[in-house]
Amino acid sequence: MYGYLGIDVGSVSTNLVMMGEDGAVKHSIYLRTRGKPIEAVQAGLKMMKSALPSKIQVAGVGTTGSGRHLAGVITGADIIKNEITTHAIAASNVVPGVQTILEIGGQDSKIIILRNGVVADFAMNTVCAAGTGSFLDQQAFRLNIGIEEFGPLALQARVPVRIAGRCAVFAESDMIHKQQMGYNVEDILAGLCEALVRNYLNNVGKGKEILGPVVFQGGVAANAGMKRAFEKALETEVIIPPYFNVMGALGAALLAREATSRKKTDFYGFEVAEKDFKAGGFACDGCPNICEVVEITESDRVIARWGDRCGRWSDVLEQKEKIS
Amino acid sequence: MTVKVGIPRALLYYYFYPQWLSFFQHLDVEPVVSHRTTRGLLEKGLRSTVDEACLPVKLAVGHVLDLKDRVDYLFLPRLVSMARREYICPKFLGFPDMVRNTIDHLPPVIDINLDLYHKRSNAYNFFQTLGKMFTKNPARIYLAYRASCQAHGNYCKELESGALPGELKTLANSNGKNGGMADITIAVIGHPYNIYDRFISMDMIKRLFESGVNVVTADHLADSVIRQEAGKLPKQLFWTLNQRMIGAAYHYFNDPEIHGLIHVASFGCGPDSMTGELIERFARSRSTKPLLVLTLDEHTGEAGIVTRLEAFLDMVRWRRNLADVAATL
Ligand code: SF4
Ligand code: SF4
Repeated sequence: MYGYLGIDVGSVSTNLVMMGEDGAVKHSIYLRTRGKPIEAVQAGLKMMKSALPSKIQVAGVGTTGSGRHLAGVITGADIIKNEITTHAIAASNVVPGVQTILEIGGQDSKIIILRNGVVADFAMNTVCAAGTGSFLDQQAFRLNIGIEEFGPLALQARVPVRIAGRCAVFAESDMIHKQQMGYNVEDILAGLCEALVRNYLNNVGKGKEILGPVVFQGGVAANAGMKRAFEKALETEVIIPPYFNVMGALGAALLAREATSRKKTDFYGFEVAEKDFKAGGFACDGCPNICEVVEITESDRVIARWGDRCGRWSDVLEQKEKIS
Repeated sequence: MTVKVGIPRALLYYYFYPQWLSFFQHLDVEPVVSHRTTRGLLEKGLRSTVDEACLPVKLAVGHVLDLKDRVDYLFLPRLVSMARREYICPKFLGFPDMVRNTIDHLPPVIDINLDLYHKRSNAYNFFQTLGKMFTKNPARIYLAYRASCQAHGNYCKELESGALPGELKTLANSNGKNGGMADITIAVIGHPYNIYDRFISMDMIKRLFESGVNVVTADHLADSVIRQEAGKLPKQLFWTLNQRMIGAAYHYFNDPEIHGLIHVASFGCGPDSMTGELIERFARSRSTKPLLVLTLDEHTGEAGIVTRLEAFLDMVRWRRNLADVAATL
């Protein structure tokens, strides 16, 4: 039995997916990255190995997310792909004919527009917190609401409160104000969802033509209040795929299947989880660019470097991983 | 000892350097160009400028700082207008004064006006005034002027036949059109001082070359083509550089050999946000070609730009393949 492994390393979460030859998800893992991507990948690999039947053989590995190069280097990935492409591939596999992908994660969000099955346009937000999941987390925390209760409560709202949510800071003070005015918590939560949706559509979705089918994915899609807020704003049905929070990893696995159709995998095996990798770095003083060079070592042997603008450090390595 | 004139590697350097170089050399003046942009150089510029300035102007100040202690003069011509009835961004106009007001211990600044707005004004006045600073012989000035015009003409021709300015030229020869490795062609539209500066653009053009892309820019088009295209706008834009960008974008949107466009804008640049808006509108309503808009500022992370570029190229190739399949059906 063959399987394809997809690994998505983001700043907030690290996700792994094992996909069968038929494209079905066999197992998925969602971990916090906690600023230590190597450890997260290794922990994920261990969990994956123990969850799978021993006869499964990894036939291909793909990595994605902001830590895709790192994950690619340590696992021996067959393909390293940006997160826009992997999300688009996964969504169009799960929902054929999808024309719009709304993706909201903890620290970033994106919109991908597809037409005739290919990406036609996209936009990303990596700066403004008011358009990402951390906005909801913060406010839920302030209201003493667990993030799991958030969605169900928001669904009970009757008249969502209008919250000025242009910016996370204003939203917070406005929310406190509304609370003091005696609005009930359900209506406030629903109002927060609507504020986030407004922000998202105004920033990330600016100028994009949103046509159905619309898929909503990323960690925030777990929140039923958000789904409803999107449906209300877009006046159309919003589909949440079964593996909504690991779609990047699923896309990477799909690409790995394609990349290994005519070659053997470069995967180093699950033993990677036991190896001693370290990510270090130094500031080069070769010229006034003072590049922050990232260096990955395996048992004190340098296996990859990047971040140097001139190639002074990355080019000397035999086995180099180019950031294109 | 020859007189040294410092030329910042910034702003309109990318248009006029060959011309200036030729003029100065014919008068036995030694032009000194500031070093290539580095993080250190940019940071010096950022520290010495006000927040309101746009990134290219802040960077230009960094280049002035890089030069000021090793030249006899600083050449900061006050560019008012490069063509009849057109202006360029007012920040160019104020640049020499801004430098004087913010930097101490400057060598003498040459800030002669170059203003071609009116019918009777021409570039010779500019070079005459400039030449008089270094020689009393009017014939020499005239000859130097003639030579400089020729140098400029040659440079424009070179660009029109596909070369890129400065050091990017050599890169293009090994990987670009002639290399035969590229499978798609992308038009990069933006201010020359953004797209040709390898640090500021995060080496975008080189990255594109390495990803198998041919790169074309506004400078590869003849002025007449650009003006004709820009003439389709309901109202003439009187900013030369932005007119160039829009004209080029319109042209490339209609060119079947171009697979996609990238618009590079500076954060805090008024003209760019207007150009960007016009280009995006055109892309939405009158073209099916992919467009990527990248806004650069001093905080722009390299990772974000790289991800966008990669995703954009995937998208362009994906769409091209689909079109190829459709064509064979
Ligand atoms: S890596 Fe290269 S570009 Fe970066 S500081 Fe060192 S010498 Fe300069
Ligand atoms: S056109 Fe824009 S980037 Fe250029 S100098 Fe003016 S404001 Fe700055």
